[in-house]
Amino acid sequence: MTKKKIIIFAVILIIAAIFGYNYIYQDHRDIETETAEFSMPSSEIATLFSEDITSAEQKFLNKTIEISGIISEINTNDITIDDKAFCQFSDVITTALDKTDTIKIKGRVIGYDDLLEQVKLDQCTIIN
Amino acid sequence: MKKITFIALFCVSLSAIGQSKYLTKTGSLDFEASVPSFEEVAAKNNSVTAILNTENGEFAALALVKAFRFKNALMEEHFNENYAESDKHPKATFKGKINGFKFDNLSASEGSTSVNGSLTFHGVTKELKDISMTIKLADGKIVLSGSFKVLVSDFEIEIPKIVANKLSDEVDIDFNFELAKK
Repeated sequence: MTKKKIIIFAVILIIAAIFGYNYIYQDHRDIETETAEFSMPSSEIATLFSEDITSAEQKFLNKTIEISGIISEINTNDITIDDKAFCQFSDVITTALDKTDTIKIKGRVIGYDDLLEQVKLDQCTIIN
Repeated sequence: MKKITFIALFCVSLSAIGQSKYLTKTGSLDFEASVPSFEEVAAKNNSVTAILNTENGEFAALALVKAFRFKNALMEEHFNENYAESDKHPKATFKGKINGFKFDNLSASEGSTSVNGSLTFHGVTKELKDISMTIKLADGKIVLSGSFKVLVSDFEIEIPKIVANKLSDEVDIDFNFELAKK
């Protein structure tokens, strides 16, 4: 009887330990596989942020979003769309792209840069 | 004729203003508040915007708090929700002036200088004096790099007692900005 109790206790302890470990060392969000909550042209989100930053932040901060527009600047790790949305990639961009290409990018909204008046996204991926 | 001269002069002055700004959108800012023998408390932000006016040495930087990435996802969540409160205070900004800045004095070899300014984080502004850093002009880029320390308690961030011994009150901040001519 006591042996049985010890075994049950040990099993509960192991299960708790596994859950605890998975909670503490949980994975980061994977923006690439998340479905975008919003999809809009860069001009629209930039206007929303420049007109009312507080409500735009409440609506978009930390959300996965798809933004479309024309590339205005391209570097190894980032693309700027229409000078209005700055999209940072976690890895080097391997797709061959040029300025003035039309593009749609998915990423996480991290906020509004009021020095440059651009919306910033990170963990971006190219949709098309 | 006068009008043309005026327009021409106006264009020249415009381009002159444009030339005096150096900026980056991908500056890096790392911080660490680890305590030895406990799990490291460190994060990295690689999308800091920084602008330097090369005419008067005025410098401004803006880091979005949500862009700080931790190794541990749960730590990142706690940082955003409980400590930095990034929904309420999404930005960290620095505004200041580089002491004795002269564009003509810059060279490809690293020189040391310092900056004074105010750092705003978690809705609290703190004056910082004489942050030392290195400065150089290489491949047309002005590279600013350095580190400084701030105290968690200066920014009205409450650390629960249960984690207080795993988290240093003194935070080391490293920065590196490669500013290109705009």
